[in-house]
Amino acid sequence: MQLKTSLRNVFRNRRRTAFSLAVIVVGFVILVSVLGFVGEALQSTKTSLADETGAVQVGSEGLFENSSTGYDYLIPPGQLEQVVAIVSTMPGLVGVSWQLNFAGLVGDEQGSTLIVGRGIVPCSDVQAYECIVSSGSPFEETSDREVILGVALARKLGVAPGDRVNIATGTVSGNFNAATVVVSGEITYALEALEEQLGLFPIAFVQRLLKTDGVERILIRIDDVDQAEAFAFELQQHLQSASIPLVARTWKELNPSYASIESFYGAFSGLAMMGIAVLVFFSVLEVLTISFLERSREVGTLRALGAGRGRVFGSFILEAAFLGIIGAILGALISVALVLVFNAIAFSWIPPGAAIPQSIQLQLSPTVIIMPILTVLFSTLLSAIFPSWRNSRIEIVRALQSV
Amino acid sequence: MSSDSQFCHEKGLAFLEARSLTKTYQVGSSAVHALQSVNFTAMQGDFVVINGPSGSGKTTFLNLISAIDRPTQGEVLIQGVSTNTLSERQLAQLRKDKIGLIFQSFNLIPVLSAAENAEYPLLLQRLPKTERAQRVQAILSEVGLADLGKRRPNELSGGQRQRIAIARALITRPKLVLADEPTANLDSETGAQVMDLMRRLNEEHCVVLLVVTHDPEVARYARRQVRIRDGRLMEGEGS
Repeated sequence: MQLKTSLRNVFRNRRRTAFSLAVIVVGFVILVSVLGFVGEALQSTKTSLADETGAVQVGSEGLFENSSTGYDYLIPPGQLEQVVAIVSTMPGLVGVSWQLNFAGLVGDEQGSTLIVGRGIVPCSDVQAYECIVSSGSPFEETSDREVILGVALARKLGVAPGDRVNIATGTVSGNFNAATVVVSGEITYALEALEEQLGLFPIAFVQRLLKTDGVERILIRIDDVDQAEAFAFELQQHLQSASIPLVARTWKELNPSYASIESFYGAFSGLAMMGIAVLVFFSVLEVLTISFLERSREVGTLRALGAGRGRVFGSFILEAAFLGIIGAILGALISVALVLVFNAIAFSWIPPGAAIPQSIQLQLSPTVIIMPILTVLFSTLLSAIFPSWRNSRIEIVRALQSV
Repeated sequence: MSSDSQFCHEKGLAFLEARSLTKTYQVGSSAVHALQSVNFTAMQGDFVVINGPSGSGKTTFLNLISAIDRPTQGEVLIQGVSTNTLSERQLAQLRKDKIGLIFQSFNLIPVLSAAENAEYPLLLQRLPKTERAQRVQAILSEVGLADLGKRRPNELSGGQRQRIAIARALITRPKLVLADEPTANLDSETGAQVMDLMRRLNEEHCVVLLVVTHDPEVARYARRQVRIRDGRLMEGEGS
């Protein structure tokens, strides 16, 4: 009967209950939106970074530690084949690709500037550069003497798709080499500083330019980015068993900025949760204080009949718990509906630190729903403690005299 | 019922005693003596009406007897046990098991049905559901409201509410029932019905019934009358 009584008391003053529920529901929806956005932003950043670098990369330790001299770190074709063969047997693999990067000069007879050249395998499953080509066209499998320039670099050079530019760099043996390539397209990039220097080339062309048949790093894409650590660990063991002097690095190790992005979003979520908890706490506190004090006479009656203070305290807490539970259920239902509507309208954005645009979706994971539930329940119960305690301690005679 | 009747044979035993009962309230810098050195004894099966003008100390006396308030001086003994020696928890236990209370304004819980209101004290005693249901049915029949158990208090008339309050007071089979102005909010006809019911229950259940009132009509029902005036109790005086 205590459950029944508390539940009925929740709906006793409908207007007041509606106000409390509205506060809880609004707080819940805000929290779901914030957590959903944060969850999705982190996931998008993660996906975008992993798209850019591969979930796992294989290269020489000197490359990753920045301790090589010249092109010592290059992976010879034999080792590349071995690594690809190993990776191909591992579960969760989506694709393998490789890169060869260089620094040089780009320009024409008007002038030249620095270029960070990235030799990539055209049409690979690992890097989806096609989707960020803003003008011109992406590489095809047969592409060779072509370049996709960063939009800012193309603007700086005053060239457009179809124009020709000259590339000059040092070969792996330290000699000078140059070639003329056609600008195939332009890409936008999240980091403007890099966009001003970036040029993508078919890797076969870069190998000829640098006069090497080696590659710099092997990029691996897997179906679940969250499994990158496990994948890298297993791969490392295979590499060691095969005596291949290369190391595997995860996207997280290659993008140390992700940790700070994660911390920022964590703090943002924490502040949002705290803010909502405070909002719910004070709103519900005010409503419950009035509601409970209005029932002092009933408390006096129950105490006079022999109900202990604990029972009275418990019944008020139970009432607050019902309020919190009902608010959480309503909040969850409304939030899910709103999130589904929002997600149906597909927005896109480039997450911080990422290069490839992602669609904005509000995440609907168990955490996104459970955290607001816990927050509103905690706040509601916390706000009920003081008025419940005060009402349970009221003198019976004084309580019975209440109007 | 048989056990009650058997117990009622011991009518000569003192059930309730008030010894030098004093209650003083501090109002600002002055002391208000609501009750001054009151001595009172009630035997098993007594039906006592306590009357007196408003502010004379009747309700204070009832509050002290029912152990919902503590005296400034003196003591209340129920079956020989001084309430002064009991803790809050023990006082709650005493009220739950031995005392039934009837309030002037009925004090029913609005969110509970009539039957649930009557059942509430049994919940406090943690009786099993089946026994609670049986006792509720029996007591509602006894107060003539067997068919109205599902109604909420706001769906009942004043007389019906007071009957439910009486049912709630008696359902635990208490040895002492205290009623504070039980007919004050009722018309005279309904008041008479309620008092008839209380007298019948007093006789059948053999409980000590103390009724505080300033209504001379109510006083007619009692076998014994005491009067309180200016916080002092005078035995045997009618209003």
